[in-house]
Amino acid sequence: MQRNKISNRQIKALIITIVVGIGILSLPSDVAMIMENDGWIGILIGGLITIPFIIMIDKLFKLQPGKNFFQLGKEILNPIVFQVFLIIEVLYIILLLSYANRVFVDVMKAYLLETTPTEIILMTMLIAISYIARSPIEVIARMAVIIYPIIIIFIIFLILINIPNMDITNIYPMFQVGYKEILKGIIASLFSYSGYEFMLLVLPQAEDNKKTLNYSLNGMFVVIAIYLIVFFISLSQYGIHQLKREIWPTIAIVKEVDLPGYFLENLDGIVMAVWVMVIYGTIGPYLYSAGTILSHIFQTKVHDIFILPLLPIIYIIALLPRNLVETEEYLGKTVSYFSIVAIFIIPAIMFISAYIYNRRNSL
Amino acid sequence: MKKRTVALLILLTVFLSGCWDMVEINQRLFVSSIGVDLHEEEGMNKLLVTFVYPNINAIGKNATEDRKKYIVSTPCSSIFQAGKEFSTNVEYPFYYKHLKVLILGEDVIKDEKLTREIIDELNRDTKINKKLLLLVAEGDAKEILESKPPQGQITDGTIYNILRDNRSASRFTPQTLTNMITELDCNGVSILPRARKKGEELSISGAAIIKNYKLIGWIGEKENRAISLIKNKVKRELIDICYNQNILSYTITNADSNKKIDIDEYITTNISIELEGYLQGYKMDNQVNIFKNEVLLNMEKALEKQIEKETMETLNLLQKEYNADVIGVGECLSKFHPKIWKTLQNNWDEVFPEVKFNVDVKVNIRRTGLTK
Repeated sequence: MQRNKISNRQIKALIITIVVGIGILSLPSDVAMIMENDGWIGILIGGLITIPFIIMIDKLFKLQPGKNFFQLGKEILNPIVFQVFLIIEVLYIILLLSYANRVFVDVMKAYLLETTPTEIILMTMLIAISYIARSPIEVIARMAVIIYPIIIIFIIFLILINIPNMDITNIYPMFQVGYKEILKGIIASLFSYSGYEFMLLVLPQAEDNKKTLNYSLNGMFVVIAIYLIVFFISLSQYGIHQLKREIWPTIAIVKEVDLPGYFLENLDGIVMAVWVMVIYGTIGPYLYSAGTILSHIFQTKVHDIFILPLLPIIYIIALLPRNLVETEEYLGKTVSYFSIVAIFIIPAIMFISAYIYNRRNSL
Repeated sequence: MKKRTVALLILLTVFLSGCWDMVEINQRLFVSSIGVDLHEEEGMNKLLVTFVYPNINAIGKNATEDRKKYIVSTPCSSIFQAGKEFSTNVEYPFYYKHLKVLILGEDVIKDEKLTREIIDELNRDTKINKKLLLLVAEGDAKEILESKPPQGQITDGTIYNILRDNRSASRFTPQTLTNMITELDCNGVSILPRARKKGEELSISGAAIIKNYKLIGWIGEKENRAISLIKNKVKRELIDICYNQNILSYTITNADSNKKIDIDEYITTNISIELEGYLQGYKMDNQVNIFKNEVLLNMEKALEKQIEKETMETLNLLQKEYNADVIGVGECLSKFHPKIWKTLQNNWDEVFPEVKFNVDVKVNIRRTGLTK
């Protein structure tokens, strides 16, 4: 049955599955590079910064109930400005998808499919996500509900297998970091929190409008908790020096597992399997939103005709960087800058103009 | 139309099923131990790498071959290069995911550059299990790998089993790759168990002290026990001392140690060790001889004194002779006194020999076995 309505539980699951993505693999090492043992401060503050923006997005639709993002945008903003915003969002999504796919391929090649060509892994993943991206939003929400428990189980599993040989004292010394580093660390962690802007498309479809804010904030808190747990586990397992050395510490720590009995070793295969789903839950919805935004720019009725034409563009951009360092330096940096515009500035401008519009009309 | 779809689906199974890069399990050589020795000082092929892998045909009930393991060695420039080197005369490719033991020859680990190359190669690789156990051979690693195991061996992996199953003992302390790197990052010093040959047989005892990826000396079993006690790595251990001209055996069932650093004029490290255990043996007597509290208390005192003495001697040795912060005073400082550590960090080698130690041992004899 297609109702195109989304329940509150699905909203929470969507936030978690979209936000937890490629960032989770390298985040502990990225913030540790800047803030040493105090990386968790960057993760925590970076997460808390997103909360006012989630509230703004939520309030935006409560100011003008019954309208979706595009109707709202046309009403409250200058049409050309809104068109520009949409184009920026599409560019951001295309770059992000390319970056996510490229990192995905690199991790895959390092841990699992050593001899498979990059192009084949990339193409397979793109075709797989195009399936979910062509579906209506309700299907994506259902997918999120399936993937969400997998993420939670994976985190619990990660904690359990790491408890026996963790050295808790590795998290010391605490609070040694300067203000400058905190700022840099927050910026480094912000990208890992991008994804909640998907709410702009989801919230108008919500079944129960009153409690959406509660559920979406809950989802964000779960994400912050997941990131903090992953950071503390990898720090206490590795110590600060080795953590800074690792590229993807979240996967690498499972290779450290040594439980009594010989049977649990080399768990990276299991983690990779889970991680494929995590990535799927991130980039599927993103591709969907790119299609939807494009369908409004070109004023078509359906979004799915834009999905397949997008794939070659993503494919080419993903293959542009020559190596992993270039991927991070060029593609990763560009996406980070774009994401600040897309997840902070655009929602904020939308909210402020909606607020002014409302005041003016009510007077 | 339908027929065409079905035909297409059937055709798809041809192309999509199966795995292109599949390798059968019996067409893989599972390297279980690697030994690295110095081959020549100059030139590219500095290392003599020895691979040990089990003969799969000799495992199980219906074994068709007798020979349990193969040992091959070649001069080459790096460990993985050796794998390629062997491909000229070994039938199947090597598979490193089940590598368990790496033995570094004495000569290799005396060369800091070579050791750093080897460790980086292993730490960077995606296949190798980072719980790989490291040892240092007194002499050549190849000889250790070729030596006869004490008992009839089941398959290859004797060294791994010794390390793994006696991990609670403190005659040697098993060391994993990650743990060693972490210790070298924090303290600049780590210890690796020492493997050596006793006649024809293999024995693992004591430890090699590694400072900045370079071997600086050996320590014996007693010193290793003291270090294990301080680092809280002892689970079960037997301690014998001389008490009233008789041997008193004491089994430790639980050991707990704590380091605390006081800083005033000097850096003083207070180490408190608390042991729990029972009496293993003393002397047969016609009367009840030890089931009295004051006797037990006296025994505890004697044990405390002896352990304290051993610990102090070991600390002295580490400070004065090796100047090696094996027990992690620097690490402790960096974690709990980060400001002071920042000022000391760069000349820690000069500061460490001046550190004062207070060792406080508390021995508890909880039971006396079955008899009074």
